[in-house]
Amino acid sequence: MLSILIFLPLAGGIAAALWPGSGEHGGRRAGYVSLLFAMTTLGFAIGLILDFDAGFGGISNVTGLQHVTDVNWIPQLGIHYKIGVDGLSLFMIALTTLLWAGATAWSSFREWPKARNYYLMLALGETAVLGAFCAQDLALFVLFFDLMLVPFYFLIGIWGGERRVEATTKFVIYTLVGSFLMLAGAVATGILSAHGGHVSFVLSDLRAHPLSKGTQEWIFLFFAAAFLVKMPAFPLHGWLPDAYRAAPTPVLVVLSGVLSKVGAYGFLRIALPIYPDAAVQFQELLLVIALVSILYGSVMAFSQNSATLVVAYSSIAQLGFITLGIFSLRPEGAQGAILQMVNHGLVVAPLFFIIALLAARAGGTDDLRRMGGLAFRAPVLAALFLIVALATLAMPGSANFAAEFLILNGVLKAKIVYAIVAGAGVVFAAVYMIRLFQRSMHNPLARGAESRDMTLTDGVVLVPVVLVILALALYPQFVLHRSQNAINTSLPREILIIR
Amino acid sequence: MTATAFGWLVLAFPLAGSITIALGFRQWRGRTAGWIGSGAIGLAFASSIGALIALQSRSPSQRALTSSLWNYIATEGVNVKLGILVDPLAVFMCLVVSGVSFLIHVYSVAYMDSDRGYSRYFSYLNFFVFSMLLLVLAGNFFLLIVGWAFVGFASYALISFWYRRRTAVRAGIKAFVINVVGDVGLVIAAILIQRDTGALDFPAVFARAGSVWHHNEWVIVAICLLILVGAFAKSAQIPLHTWLPDAMEGPTPVSALIHAATMVTAGVYLIARTHPLFELAPTAADISAAIGALTLFFAGTVALVVTDLKRVIAYSTISQIGYMVMGVSIAAYSAGMFHLMTHAFFKALMFMAAGSVIAAMAGTQDMDRMSGMRRAMPFTSVAFVAAALALAAFPGTSGYFSKDDILAFAAERGSGYWILYVVGTVGALMTAIYAFRMIFRVFAGEPNEEARELEHGHLAHAEPVNPLTGEPEDTDVGFPGPEHHIAEREAAMRAPMTLLAVLSIVAGVIQIPHVTDVVTDFLAPTFADSRFADVEPSVGLSVLTLALGALMSLSGIAIAYLVWVRRPGTSAQLVARFRRTHDFLIHKWYFDEAYDLLVVRPMTRLGQAASRTFERVVIDGVSQGAAMVVRAGNSLVRVAQSGIVRYYALALMTGVTALALYFLIAAK
Amino acid sequence: MTAALHAPHIDYAGLSPLLALSGGVCVTLLLGLARGPGTRMLVTASALLTLAAATTLAAWQFGENKSLVEGALRADDLALSLDFVFYAAAACALILSLRDPGTSHASLGDYSALLLTSVTGMTVLAGATNLVTLFLGIELLSIPLYVMCAVDLHRRTSLESGLKYLVIGSVGSATLLYGLAFIYGATGSTDFGPIAHAVGRSGIAHDPLLLTGIALAAAGLAFKASVAPFHQWTPDVYQGAPTPVTAFMAVATKAAAFAIILRFFDVAIHPAKGDWDVALAALAVASIAIGNIGAIGQDSMKRLLAYSGVAQAGYMLAGVVVGTSLGLKSVVFYLFVYLLMNVAAFAVVIARERETVLGDDIEAVRGIGASRPALAWPLTISMLALAGFPGTAGFIGKFFLIEATVQGDFTWLGVVIVIGSMLSLAYYLRVVAAVWMQPGAEPVRATPVMAGGSAEASPTGPRAGGVQLEVVAIAVIAAAAVVAFGIIPSPLLDVASDAARAVFG
Repeated sequence: MLSILIFLPLAGGIAAALWPGSGEHGGRRAGYVSLLFAMTTLGFAIGLILDFDAGFGGISNVTGLQHVTDVNWIPQLGIHYKIGVDGLSLFMIALTTLLWAGATAWSSFREWPKARNYYLMLALGETAVLGAFCAQDLALFVLFFDLMLVPFYFLIGIWGGERRVEATTKFVIYTLVGSFLMLAGAVATGILSAHGGHVSFVLSDLRAHPLSKGTQEWIFLFFAAAFLVKMPAFPLHGWLPDAYRAAPTPVLVVLSGVLSKVGAYGFLRIALPIYPDAAVQFQELLLVIALVSILYGSVMAFSQNSATLVVAYSSIAQLGFITLGIFSLRPEGAQGAILQMVNHGLVVAPLFFIIALLAARAGGTDDLRRMGGLAFRAPVLAALFLIVALATLAMPGSANFAAEFLILNGVLKAKIVYAIVAGAGVVFAAVYMIRLFQRSMHNPLARGAESRDMTLTDGVVLVPVVLVILALALYPQFVLHRSQNAINTSLPREILIIR
Repeated sequence: MTATAFGWLVLAFPLAGSITIALGFRQWRGRTAGWIGSGAIGLAFASSIGALIALQSRSPSQRALTSSLWNYIATEGVNVKLGILVDPLAVFMCLVVSGVSFLIHVYSVAYMDSDRGYSRYFSYLNFFVFSMLLLVLAGNFFLLIVGWAFVGFASYALISFWYRRRTAVRAGIKAFVINVVGDVGLVIAAILIQRDTGALDFPAVFARAGSVWHHNEWVIVAICLLILVGAFAKSAQIPLHTWLPDAMEGPTPVSALIHAATMVTAGVYLIARTHPLFELAPTAADISAAIGALTLFFAGTVALVVTDLKRVIAYSTISQIGYMVMGVSIAAYSAGMFHLMTHAFFKALMFMAAGSVIAAMAGTQDMDRMSGMRRAMPFTSVAFVAAALALAAFPGTSGYFSKDDILAFAAERGSGYWILYVVGTVGALMTAIYAFRMIFRVFAGEPNEEARELEHGHLAHAEPVNPLTGEPEDTDVGFPGPEHHIAEREAAMRAPMTLLAVLSIVAGVIQIPHVTDVVTDFLAPTFADSRFADVEPSVGLSVLTLALGALMSLSGIAIAYLVWVRRPGTSAQLVARFRRTHDFLIHKWYFDEAYDLLVVRPMTRLGQAASRTFERVVIDGVSQGAAMVVRAGNSLVRVAQSGIVRYYALALMTGVTALALYFLIAAK
Repeated sequence: MTAALHAPHIDYAGLSPLLALSGGVCVTLLLGLARGPGTRMLVTASALLTLAAATTLAAWQFGENKSLVEGALRADDLALSLDFVFYAAAACALILSLRDPGTSHASLGDYSALLLTSVTGMTVLAGATNLVTLFLGIELLSIPLYVMCAVDLHRRTSLESGLKYLVIGSVGSATLLYGLAFIYGATGSTDFGPIAHAVGRSGIAHDPLLLTGIALAAAGLAFKASVAPFHQWTPDVYQGAPTPVTAFMAVATKAAAFAIILRFFDVAIHPAKGDWDVALAALAVASIAIGNIGAIGQDSMKRLLAYSGVAQAGYMLAGVVVGTSLGLKSVVFYLFVYLLMNVAAFAVVIARERETVLGDDIEAVRGIGASRPALAWPLTISMLALAGFPGTAGFIGKFFLIEATVQGDFTWLGVVIVIGSMLSLAYYLRVVAAVWMQPGAEPVRATPVMAGGSAEASPTGPRAGGVQLEVVAIAVIAAAAVVAFGIIPSPLLDVASDAARAVFG
């Protein structure tokens, strides 16, 4: 069941790559094929949500894992192909499929050189991400986690903008440095927690046999490195500006909307449950990193002239909030983090699409100084942009605010100072988002810019996402309810102080 | 129907109106959108009355009802429901808000007629009313914050409604950011409350407050101060007031509705709503009262010198809110709310009249260019005078009773509170002066050319330019529209103005100390739990205050008459005499400059520095450094790889020896 | 005296692969003498048949685990499993050489015969459990290689590389021989069993003779496996030799060297592990560092692969250091993977050598992502696999090695492997980027200048693809295998486990 979900996109990609039809005509068809598969995957994910059992009072599923598949994949190495879904991954999966569907749709409405390879890579990326979210075996997680890089390396490097090769190389090397450390850490975890000579990487086994504190600490640092690079968090974000500027819009959308979450997810899925002592040990450190990320990201965000970079740095800040919530080591914080992961994915995707539209109207540049007054003949675009912008700056009444409220709640109960400082981050968010909106939409019409509304095809991509944003704004409990149980089981009891 | 059902209706109508107008923005022709909007608000007002009746039919102790739709956030340790609280205070606010809003909507139907953003305007306006009502009906801190932020956004959207005006855009972002600062303060306060009481619903919090916090312990003081940050940001109290004068960039009806009558008084409502907390933290309450006094004085002084008509009114608003904040902070709750109501009436009216004048001046707001409009616009001038009388607390008008009610209460509290009393009285004098400064400068004297034009029956029509920057207006987004509308010619504008004029004059009678205490009695159930519930100014004090108030008002009007009518030019001499003071005042005590210097510039500098130096040097430096090390090693290897066999042999032998030596040594 | 001599019992079944090979050598030589158009085909065919036969016999003997010729040889699973690697590598080399301009100068008969001889030597080496057979194997595999490197008579670089290899190689052999002599002197036996016994009895610490011997032997073996600092011949020789030969050396020689390294350290002197593991670890670190750093910025694909080979040798050495069953397993598995990854890469290099005038320069593969996907994908996969990306067998291999190091209390060595892999990205990704992300160099008509042209070896545009069908095929198959075993590694892992069981029981 889940395996189908994971590998459906890849199948689609391969189908698209092999689909008959020549030239750009063939390219378009390839696009529609993979779009079809992406939509099916999305349907699967929705189905998954619908029959998901939030599992309250259910002693039957303590871990909350559902749709489990467990195959002893490489017995000699103790690696299982164990996948399953619980409250942690459920909405990550949904987000992934949604954004990928959006990105694929967006792509299929446009022409691409070497279109077949493009869709193949895009699909491979989705499969890898879904795999990482479903993996219930440490080795399997690492495998998918690293596998993600391959398609994105190509997607940025082949179809990217200027200085794309440098950008993508920087991106991959940065990320793999983390990932390889994580690989070593993962192997060590498996071997050292082996009992009676029987090695296993299955997460539940690893939790059952925790490592000694000393070991936990260095392994935890390895994992933290990998996850923080992926997010990215200050000061490991060196790859971000180049990669974001180089990446083509649809890739950027999934890169920033989904991949950045895998890191945060990793903390919840791997780092906290398996290295609890280390998590407590390094709580301060991670909180500080998160806080600096928030402030640094915000300050950078409101001093950029490139719209893309504004959002890029803003997502450093947003991910900082998520990290903050996770390392409050309190259920509220973690819940807020999960909700915020979903929200950030939901807002950042339309933002990048909109920026692409704006650039198209400002003569092909995302430079804010060349924009302005675009709202005039584009009321619909402006309205959507406004909604998204407000959600991004966590306007009370948006799900983002609900999330930040929970996060601050958790942090304030854990360490009050951090919460106060993080408050400044909220203000900054208001500054840079409103600045972004006004510089592009308001003020007198900029020279060389023309104001026209978005087309139907743009709407097909944008409107559904915005609708989801609004729906969540009305009823965030939808997510919280389904993830609560998982939080309580995934956060190790011993590090949780529940009032 | 129950009161809560009416409560939900109150919320439903404006929201529905806003959405309808927004979705159909391509369909609506002519003034349709305007009437839809007004109708929605009218229904909301009706529902408020329904709520009032439903509420009054219950016994006083039963007049706080809650109702909730669904769980918004329910998880470990946090539980937020989408719930409202309908009690006298809420209903009172609902009545004021929806009532005044309705009138202003009707006014706007005509005033904004020729604006290109007609539907957008009414969609925003309805959304604002919805948010404001949500704010006052919210049953818990979370929803309060939501409404709080929504009104902030609506205000922002309407300030920069003419979004091709750079000034409007700048004013908008200023207002928005300052409001967010307030929001954050409120959020942190809410979380602290949630942490200690484990609840966010007002009744629960207030019930547990006493048992959770000791009297005046630092936590509760901190909480109250954080709440004050929110209140002051919204109500433009020092030091967060700077956005309000700039907010005059918005259309004049917006200034009337949001920046005079309703939203800016939210802070007052908030303090009144959370009075149980403030009574636990007297320190915070006193600070708040002091700041209120300071603000009312500061704004009064500035209003004396500013020459932009709308900005004068803006500062007078700040000043009047200072009175209200002072009132609710010293536990004169009903007095404060009463002043809030009367102020809503006369200030809204004043802005409407000002709007009419500005329209007649074809968009010019500078009083230096106005004079002698009296005969040209009789109706407007009458309305303006009515508003000014109320504002100046002319004996018998509504403002007279409401303001002196507050001052009397301050006197009653005695001791240090006498200072507040004195400041308030001085403020009253200034109020009277600047109120009639406007009257005399705008309506008295020789008619200027616009006035003369108008007397001959045609409305001046200038090419609109931005009064602040002088850059030509972009009529695409309809700077008040290609043609303007004045009360004399628009029934839709006259009707609400008339009604408000009457209210401004007579509304005072409902709360004449010791004669008719309608407001106090109505609000009593909400404030029953207050320690000062039974404190009431003695007759003597009330009389004294009223007398003093009358004196101040009259002398103020007299002074204004002397300075601006009898001896024109006096003001010029005064300015020349007190150059320094005048500069100080005309620069609004240099608040904006200070912020620019202390906050805005450093931040931008920091950002630029970060992106230029830090990002380049440190972040990239790390990776480049690593690369350099590797490259160095690489060149080493290449050197060793000379291609000459004997060197290889040498290296090989060296390796062997090293290995052998290791074994021989290590093994020992 | 003579009466005392009695021939040792000989298990011909066990020896059968060897016999088959030796027979094959003679047959091939004879066939090579024939003149005529079909000769090349014929010769190659017979050589391939020989390898096939040897493979079958090896497969037949698999699991028997017996020692032959009075313990001079062992036909156990370790030896046999690695034999497969030799045979596969040789087969690929043969097919790649089939129409190689470089090798075509020598009569293909001699060439193939030399190749088979070298393979024979490897088979002996892999099975050697005796110092003498060990040395015999080494020489038997080396001497033909010296010739094969120089076989491209028209290219000075080829001759040079042959000479270099000969000179340095003899130094290496000498060192080894010297070391073996010492060990014999110290333990009084040439058989691994007794040596192990002696070492186990009295350790090696107090015996300078033995210590020196081990040191020298280790150096000699490290030389064959091109482990730093004994690697320096590798880049030059690899670059100079005809590419098919390079491919064969890169894979088979390394495998053979590791076969004996495993047996020598994990059997002969295993009891003294505590004394040699750190030294070996040092060598491993050195190779990982030097190999990876040296490969960065190399424009010659063959040099690049040579350095990467040094680094990879370092990784595998880590598996030897721990001296555990798991370690041996991981090394054997990695050798399988290593074979596939390199064959794929070299095949592509060869194909481009013949399609362009750019030889093995990285320029030659620029932009082939667009023009020659059939070559681009294999090269990409092999590069990613070498870098240890998941989804490829390379990932499993690294995973396995690290697992071994951690379990053998050499976690830090595992971390070193990881860091090495990070460095390696710098050059592996450079190739991938060249393939996919840069505008292609127009396929140029090859001129005899570099590729020493014989008629069919100077392809022109369209015919190019057709000509190297077999090369492309090898590349694709190898790459496919890399991916396949990346997803289902169990078969190889089972073989590796058998090999380990053969040694550690």
